[in-house]
Amino acid sequence: MKGLILKDVMCLRKQLTVFCYVIAGVVIVSVLYVLSARFGNLAEAGREMMKTDDMSHTDVRNIGTLALVLFMLLPIATIGDMANVFEADGKAGFARVSAALPVPRWKRLLSRYCTIYALFGIGVLIDVLLAAVLGALTDIITFSGLFGIIISCASIMSIYSALVIFFCILLGYGKEQYVQILSILAMAVSFILVNIGNIRKIANNVAANAEQNSGSGDISFLFDALNFIKEKYWVLLLIAAGVSIGSYAASLALTERKRGVI
Amino acid sequence: METTKNVIELKNVTKDYGDFKLDNVSFVVPEGSVCGFIGQNGAGKTTTINLILDVIKRDSGEIKLFGEAVDGDSAKLREDIGVVYDEMGFHEFMTARDINIMMKHIYRKWDEQVFFDYLKRFSLPTKKRCGSFSRGMRMKLQIAVALSHHARLLIMDEPTSGLDPVVRNEMLDIFREYVVEEDHTILLSSHITGDLEKLSDEVVFIDGGRIVLAGNKDEILEKHGILKCKKDDFARVSEVLVVHGEVSSIGAEALINDREAAAKLYPDMVIEPASLEQIMIHYVSRKR
Repeated sequence: MKGLILKDVMCLRKQLTVFCYVIAGVVIVSVLYVLSARFGNLAEAGREMMKTDDMSHTDVRNIGTLALVLFMLLPIATIGDMANVFEADGKAGFARVSAALPVPRWKRLLSRYCTIYALFGIGVLIDVLLAAVLGALTDIITFSGLFGIIISCASIMSIYSALVIFFCILLGYGKEQYVQILSILAMAVSFILVNIGNIRKIANNVAANAEQNSGSGDISFLFDALNFIKEKYWVLLLIAAGVSIGSYAASLALTERKRGVI
Repeated sequence: METTKNVIELKNVTKDYGDFKLDNVSFVVPEGSVCGFIGQNGAGKTTTINLILDVIKRDSGEIKLFGEAVDGDSAKLREDIGVVYDEMGFHEFMTARDINIMMKHIYRKWDEQVFFDYLKRFSLPTKKRCGSFSRGMRMKLQIAVALSHHARLLIMDEPTSGLDPVVRNEMLDIFREYVVEEDHTILLSSHITGDLEKLSDEVVFIDGGRIVLAGNKDEILEKHGILKCKKDDFARVSEVLVVHGEVSSIGAEALINDREAAAKLYPDMVIEPASLEQIMIHYVSRKR
């Protein structure tokens, strides 16, 4: 199985190069952020806020932090898309070679999941290390808040990857574009179905505001979502684990019927 | 008395695709032999090989490798099998070194030294992407991989098709070397009967998903013959003996299935030895 994981990693070489550049970029941005938070504009904004009691200065700090968080999530988002591995295997005709190897089907399939989670693990590890450093060196963000965001992002990407693997097995080689669209669609539909109550609430709120001709609506749902991501990241992590197990079980059942697809 | 072990055994194997059916395929490949698996394109050779390797699921029948049933979990058995396909199957960005790294973590008996020795012998670069290899080089790379984990059985699906005669001969020499060891067996599928005639001990001939002929190559060649006679004389030839015949304005030519009997019955007619290609063509033509 280790050999197949190595092969999958080789297939993701290009993405890994991008990943390395992104990591370098994130480190540079983090250093700049720390410098700014201690001695630059972010520190200045904090001082102004305390001095003048003008809360608009928090916007500068929030925007700076948001930019940093988005940058920090890039390594996890760019680290690997299994659709690329399936595409490379399909082009090469590797499925026949793979089927003739002394590796049982369940292990051949498991290697796909191991590859992607190992890569996510690297991304998460780097991000968590950075979060620890940032949390220690600045007073704007906390380690726990960043940790929650990182784990939530990794969980969402894991759900996407698990769906990609399942759809790749279901549809076979050469359908990677559909696979990506289907995976995103499945996630979007699930998100909407789970949040149908909240969406209704937001819609009602928007309608009420329109009737009253009031410009600013209730945007508390945004803070709720952010708090959920920061504090209840384990819920997303559990969902990701469930989806991964489900995807593996369903894909394994499919490979029994459609041998030679993995 | 020591009995011959069969490395591959197929018994009434069926696989139905709707538009093509592998119908009750049965044959054996004895240990230490080279078995030529002949048939025209689309006859069912690749499907049979895929079934043997458990790449596809059979509808019915029994398949045994090294005496053990192939039952959907035969990964262990594949440790002793080297496989060569008509297309390389490795990613174009991979180098021979990459393949070595991958394979040494897959095969328990992977022998790096043997692999690099083969690469050297085949003059294959170790650091060059295999996507830039010629067809001959790609086949050689596959053979190097197949022979580097001390496999007892080599299964090859059209390995020589599309290769120039020099490379083909070189490959046949490698196969000959491989079967010098008593417990080494080859199942070689090809529609190039000339290669099989040179190399094989056993022949299995498949057409339209059915086994037409199976057995010892020399016996098959000895039994069959090409009977040539005048157009009028052809009517005298027993139908039981004729596999397929063609009558033209010049005369008649037919493949007969018992050369000795035909020689006794028709001493006035010319009966020449038949090649595997002639046998294949006549059997296919008979069906049509």
